[in-house]
Formats: sequence, structure tokens, C-alpha cells
Amino acid sequence: MTVASPRPRPARRVATDLPFSFADRGLAKALAAERSEPDWLRAERIAALEAFEALPLEPNQLYTTYLDLRNAELMTARPYLKTASVPNAIASTKLPDGVAGLIDLREDGVAGLVLEPAAVAAGVILETFGQALARDPDGLRTQLEGGAGLPDDDKLAALVRGFWSQGVRLQIPAGVRLERPIVIRWAAGMPDRALIGRTIITVGDGADASIVEELTASGPAIACAAGETVPQALLAGTLEVTLGRDAKLAVASLQELPAGTIAFQHRHAVIGEGASLHWALAQLGSRLVRSRVDNRLEGDRSSVEQVEIVFGGEDQLFDLTSYTRHIGRDTTGNLLSKGALLDRARSFMKGMIVIDRSAVGTDSFLGEFGMNLSKATRSVAIPSLEIDQPDCRRAAHASSVGPIDESQLFYLESRGIPPDEARKFIVLGFLEPVVARVPLASAQDRLRVLLEAKWDAGIGAGAGNDAAA
Amino acid sequence: MTATREIVTDQREQFAFHDDIAYLRETKRGLTRATVEEISGFKEEPDWMLQYRLRAYEHFLKRPIPTWTDGLDKIDFDKIVYYRKPSEREEKSWDDVPEQIKATFERLGIPEAERKFLAGVGAQYDSEVVYHSVKEELTKLGVVFMGTDQALKEYPEIFRRHFGTVVPAEDNKFSALNAAVWSGGSFVYVPKGVEVPLPLQAYFRINGENTGQFERTLIVVDEGAKVHYIEGCTAPIYATESLHVAVVEVVALPGSKVRYTTIQNWSNDVYNLVTKRAHAYENSTVEWIDANTGSRKTVKFPAIYLRGEGATADIISVAVAGKGQHQDTGAKAVHLAPNTRSRIVSKSVSKDGGRASYRGHLKVSPGATNVVASVRCDALMLDDISRSDTYPYIDIQEDDTSMTHEATVGKVSAEQVFYLMSRGLTENEATNLIVQGFLEVFTKELPMEYAIEFNRLVKLEMEGSLG
Repeated sequence: MTVASPRPRPARRVATDLPFSFADRGLAKALAAERSEPDWLRAERIAALEAFEALPLEPNQLYTTYLDLRNAELMTARPYLKTASVPNAIASTKLPDGVAGLIDLREDGVAGLVLEPAAVAAGVILETFGQALARDPDGLRTQLEGGAGLPDDDKLAALVRGFWSQGVRLQIPAGVRLERPIVIRWAAGMPDRALIGRTIITVGDGADASIVEELTASGPAIACAAGETVPQALLAGTLEVTLGRDAKLAVASLQELPAGTIAFQHRHAVIGEGASLHWALAQLGSRLVRSRVDNRLEGDRSSVEQVEIVFGGEDQLFDLTSYTRHIGRDTTGNLLSKGALLDRARSFMKGMIVIDRSAVGTDSFLGEFGMNLSKATRSVAIPSLEIDQPDCRRAAHASSVGPIDESQLFYLESRGIPPDEARKFIVLGFLEPVVARVPLASAQDRLRVLLEAKWDAGIGAGAGNDAAA
Repeated sequence: MTATREIVTDQREQFAFHDDIAYLRETKRGLTRATVEEISGFKEEPDWMLQYRLRAYEHFLKRPIPTWTDGLDKIDFDKIVYYRKPSEREEKSWDDVPEQIKATFERLGIPEAERKFLAGVGAQYDSEVVYHSVKEELTKLGVVFMGTDQALKEYPEIFRRHFGTVVPAEDNKFSALNAAVWSGGSFVYVPKGVEVPLPLQAYFRINGENTGQFERTLIVVDEGAKVHYIEGCTAPIYATESLHVAVVEVVALPGSKVRYTTIQNWSNDVYNLVTKRAHAYENSTVEWIDANTGSRKTVKFPAIYLRGEGATADIISVAVAGKGQHQDTGAKAVHLAPNTRSRIVSKSVSKDGGRASYRGHLKVSPGATNVVASVRCDALMLDDISRSDTYPYIDIQEDDTSMTHEATVGKVSAEQVFYLMSRGLTENEATNLIVQGFLEVFTKELPMEYAIEFNRLVKLEMEGSLG
């Protein structure tokens, strides 16, 4: 049924070749010039470009054999030079139910920005980098210069540092408690378009907030003539978080980018004394996701909980790295990654826990679990530990990969549930830990719908039935 | 409490000696194409082996030094003597072994070991097998146990059929080096259906400053046969680097059972870089029982490729890393066929600034259905200047694999030490006992004499780590 494409294929790249070509000095300068950026920011972009050029694609020698960018084909993709940093019609942006604030960004600029009056009164600031440059240039400079909020050994982090076209800055002052979440929405997926953005969040001492990050399509799906392929899009984004003393932050992320999108993600958190951070990350969309999370438990008694799920299908590749460094005393790290794969999907889960000599009394657990639902899938788990301090409450990791548990299936069937339905329950139940942690009812519902739709599509294509066959 | 307890004495000097040997032949320091040709010439090898060595040498030059583990760039390949021959030919009986060498082995306890329960002894003295005995009953059974050099001459057919098939010269930089300059090692062939009743043993040691040991071991176990091979080593302590680069190949043909036990106790100046791999065919069982207590740096991941349906792999890997040591050890199980099973158990102890790393690879390839695999790694750290790492790689490409992996890192519990001390043990003894208990999963797999020796080694390693 399929006919060989008449279009000449692009030159075959090896797994580690850079799949894009826009990152050069000219673009860095043009971005700075187009925005009339101050000298320090222009210099910062150039410094980042130099770091980008010098760094290897995979900074960790442990993981170099699990690097594959061949799913990405972005040689013609470019970011917009000029973007609107302030929406034209802020007044018209409605605040959705149950939300304290919303910022809506797309390839060409900010589509909406609104914050509830109570939050504004409490001193919460939600703004674009453009607004921050005008209002608080010194504060922004401290945050951006030298790339302090990003890992310094990472090529793709340096890419974002040098070539961001949009930025979001959220500041929760000390002692402020937001009852409802703030939604940060990045919409991408326009063919041949790169959206490179940063989000910097500061949570003051004793403050308490929650964020829902939505990574979604910027437009309707694009159809194409038979034999043609739609050019891919890029979303390269960061989430740079600093938590003050006894601060609390919950971040839920729902990644449902279109199938032709490549996503590079960096999440970097510095967690202060007694502070706690909760990540709930759901990865569903994109053709290729290359993600890295860095948790730095600097303060004594600080803690992080990270729950990440992947539900992959077709030819998707999820390349997920997570570094957690215990530095303070009596810190806690609880990390859980789960992947369910259909069709020919692949997931590389690379987790690294480092316990520094200073980190006496650490409790650290890393779990990586996979469910291969079809024969052509591939699950890679590399849960690593590097430990310099044995005086800990716990330092352990566990991993398992297995098919759907026959005894669970038997139990559900004995209760009168048809086999296909039972399988669906088990797989969705396997991924439930993230759904339950999304702090916004509407986003939670949406995630459930997406997971279910993905399961139904996978089953429709005949995957997932191998176990029964 | 008035009774003075016997303090553990350091018995290291028992193993640390150096005899002045007149080497009959040796190559110049350093490695060139001429060195390789010279070694092959000394051995009067067939041309195919010379060509094989030369190809491997070229490959060795091409490959970069691995950087995923640190410190290998400190090896000065030009300082090493790649071949030394202490005596002219293989000795058939103990009486024919030169007195000086015999005295060395007396100190290592080999003759007793042989008398007591070992079926055969292949003792490697520097780069050549100088002593070899195979009990008559084994010869009658058709079991071949001899030096690898001799096997190349006497069993060319079976040798050539298997040599380099499990670990190709091109596998890694050090397998290429071994293939270029290999000398000595053991060759074992067990014919169809033969069960070797007693373990076969080879005793290695390095003697001679900067002498390389590049032994090559090839074990072929035919259908339905069964054998247990034991390798242990001690070495004198010298100030400058020594290099040990070995290759071990095991071919477990259908229905066979092979156990390979190693107690590695090189002196703390040796770089011990070993490629060990087995091919397990239908319904065979391969077991690596591997302990590393010595060396400055060991890089060794005993591997089993499960090639035939129903094959079983069992790997127990133990490491003790003390001052200045890095034990970069682990295990690999590669499932290539359906209904195969693997089990990996790793235990490591780090102390006095030593570093113990577990590096493992578990792979289930497409087509290897119904695999059951488990990995368990536990690490014990005795102080906070030491380091423990765990780097497991798990790569599953089938949909019905059942794989579990668990790892924990901890310290000796103060409660346990307190309890044992309340029973009259010193702190040293208590810790020692706890460490021995931690490593028991390994010790209990050893023949009794080896278990005793291993516990003594651990005790020795523990010496000086406690006040």
C-alpha cells in the first residue's frame, strides 16, 4: 500500500549529528539587535553560543551510547526573529475557572497574559522577559547572566541560553500562598518553526504555589499530499526554578505536542532549606523528546518528588535524563519514572542520583519501570547511583520491565470485565500516579482523555494484543 | 574484660615476594610490530596466528583509550615487557619444575591444594605455563587441560574453530592488545557428556617488575559436559605500574554446564583489565563467580551471551576496594534466544578512600521471548571518604520479558556492631564478621579451601581500615 517517496531523501545523518542548523553567531546577534537588547544580554547570548559550540551533545559518558537524534529533521527550521513580547489585548484574556493566572505563548509572541487581582495585590509577578527588561533589568540580568539556572555542561541548555526568543518570569514573594495554580502554556508545532523559550520561577521563603505547564499545538494538524512529509517543528524550553526556605512548589506538565514536533526540555531546580518541590510530568506527544531534569537539594531538609510518565506509540522516542544531587543534610529524593510503549516506540530513562559527602542523612529512591506493550518497542533504563556519603537513611533504586501482569488481568476478567477493557485499566492504572498529581481538575481530565485516546488508537492499530495472541 | 584478643595479623608478606629469575627469553620494553613478530617467532606459531596477532596490533593502535572509566590514560605501554619466558618447556611433573620456582609455589600452597582436591594444576609463572599436571583419569576421560600455547600446537583444529570467536580482537582496545601479544593461559576441552568430577585450577601470579601478563584462556565444553574451572592469583608488590590484560573465552555447547571461579588479588599497583565472555548455547548453564580484592584498578565485566534457547546465566560479582583502589566491575547478560534466564548478584565493599563501581548491562534482543532476568546490587561503604557507584544498563526490546533490578547502598549498622561487641567481639572483629556475612553469597559458592582463603583475604583487606 505504501509507495516509495518520489522526493529525494535528505542526506542520512548519524545518531549524534545535530539535526538543526540555525544556531550561529548571526542569529544570536540578530535576536539581540531586533529586540534592542542591552550589551550585557548580547554578550550573554554570544557566551552561550560559544559554550554551545564547545560542548558535546551528551555530557555524560555513561549515556553516550543512548543518544539518537535521527528522528529529528530540522535543518530548515528557524525561530521568528521578531516576536510580540506584550499581548495586544490583555484585557480580553479571560481567566479560566480554577486558575490564579495564565500566560499563553506561541511561536510569534504572547497570546495572553492574565493574573487574578488577589495575586497581583499579594505581589505576585507574572511577566515576559520583555516586560522584565523594562521593569527590573538588574533582577533579570542576575538570573540570566552566566546561565546560572541551567546546567553548564549541556549543549542544548546552552542553545536555549543563546537563542531564546521568548521568556516567562514568575515571582512568588515570601509568605504568599496561592490557592489555585498558574497556567503556563507554550504552543508550538508550526512546520519549519523553532520556538525557543525560557521560564524562570522564583518562590520566596515560606511561599506555596502550583504551576500547570501545558505544551500543546499552536494550530490545527497540517495535512499533506501523499508522499510528502510535513516539515518538523521545534520547541526548546526550560523551567528554571529556585525555592527559598520552606517554600513549596508543585509543577505539573502535560506534553501533548503534535506528532511532527521535536522537543528539547530542561528543568532545573535549586531547592532551599526545608523547601519541597513536586514534579508531575506527563509525556505523550512529539516525535522526539530529549529532556533533562536537574534537582539540586542544596538546603538542609529539602525534598523533591518527581513522578514522570511516558505513553509512547508509533515511532516516538523519549530520551529522558534526570539528575538529583543531594548536598544538604537530611534531604529527601523520591523519583519515579514509568513508561508504557506501543507500536515501535522507544524510551531511554537515564536517572542519576549523586549523594555528596556533605549530604548526611539522605533518603533517596529512584524507580524506573517499563511496560512494553508491543514487540517492536524498546525500553532502556539506566538508574545510576554515585555515593560519597554512606551515612544515609536510604540510598536505593529499583527497576523492572514486564508485560501486563497476567494475575491482574485474570482478576479483572473474573469480575466480568472484558479482556481488552481490563488491559486498558491496567495500563492506565500504571500511568495514574502522574494524573492524580495534576493540581487542576480540567487539566487532570484532559490528561485522562489523552491517555485513553492514545490507548484506543494503539489498540486500533493492532498493538497491545501480542500478549493475548 | 581482661583477655587480650589475638589481633588479625597482616599476612600480606606471605604473598609479596619476588624471586630473581633468570628469564630465558624476553622482549624489549614497549610494543612495536617487531615485538609481535618476535613473540610469535619465539613460539614457532603457524602463520595464521602471526597474521591474527598483527591485525590485532593494528587495531590496538587505532582504538582510543576508553574514557568512560578514569585513569587508564596513566598506563605507559612503552614501559611494559610484553613477553618473558622463564623456562624452556612445559614441565610434565612437579619434580621437573626448577627449584626456585617450586619454592615460590610452595609458599603459595599449590602442592597441598593439588593433593587435597584439585584435579589439575596449570600454574602460570610470568608469561609461560611452567607446570602442568592433569590427573590420569582426566586424560582417560579425554579432557584436555593444558597451556594455551601448547593447545595451539597439539589441538590446532578445535583451537582454531573457537579461538577469538567469543571475544574478537576488535572487541575493545584491550582485547586487541591481548590478541596481539597473548602468551600462556589455559586451554580446556571437555568432550561430549563428560563430567569433570573435581575443579580444574590455574594459579597465576605476576613476578618481575613491569612484567605484563597477557594470558589467554579458552574453555570449550562439549554437549552435555560439565566442568568447574578455578583461577586465583597473587602477586608481589612493586612501586611501579604493572599491567594485566587477559581474555577469557568460554564456549558452552548445548546442554553443558560451566562454572568459572576467580579470586583476583593482584598487588595494588596492577592495572587489571580483563575481557571475559561466554557463549551459552541451548539449555546450557554458565556461571561466573568473580571476586576482586586486589589491583590498583580492575575493569572487568564477566559477560554471558545467551545464544541458545533455554540457556541459563548466573553471575556473582564481588569487589572490595581499599585505599587507592578502584574496582570497576560488574556483569553483562545478553539475551539473544527465547526462554533464557539470567541472574546477576553483585556485592561491593569500599573503604579507606577506595571506589567500588558496579557497571552492568542487561539486554534482551528482539526475538528473545519469554526471558526472565534479575539484577541485584548491594554496596557497603565503611567510611565517608570512600565512594560507591552503580551504573546498570537495562535494555529491553521484547514485550514479554520479566526483568527486575534492585540496588541498595549502605553502611555497617552501628546496632549490629554494638550487638556483636556486647557479645565480646572487638570492633574490628565485629565489622569483619558483618563484612564477611555481607559477602557470603559469594563465599558459599566456593570450594571450602577457597572460602577459607577468601575470608582471610577479606580480613587482610580490612586490616588497617579500623582503628
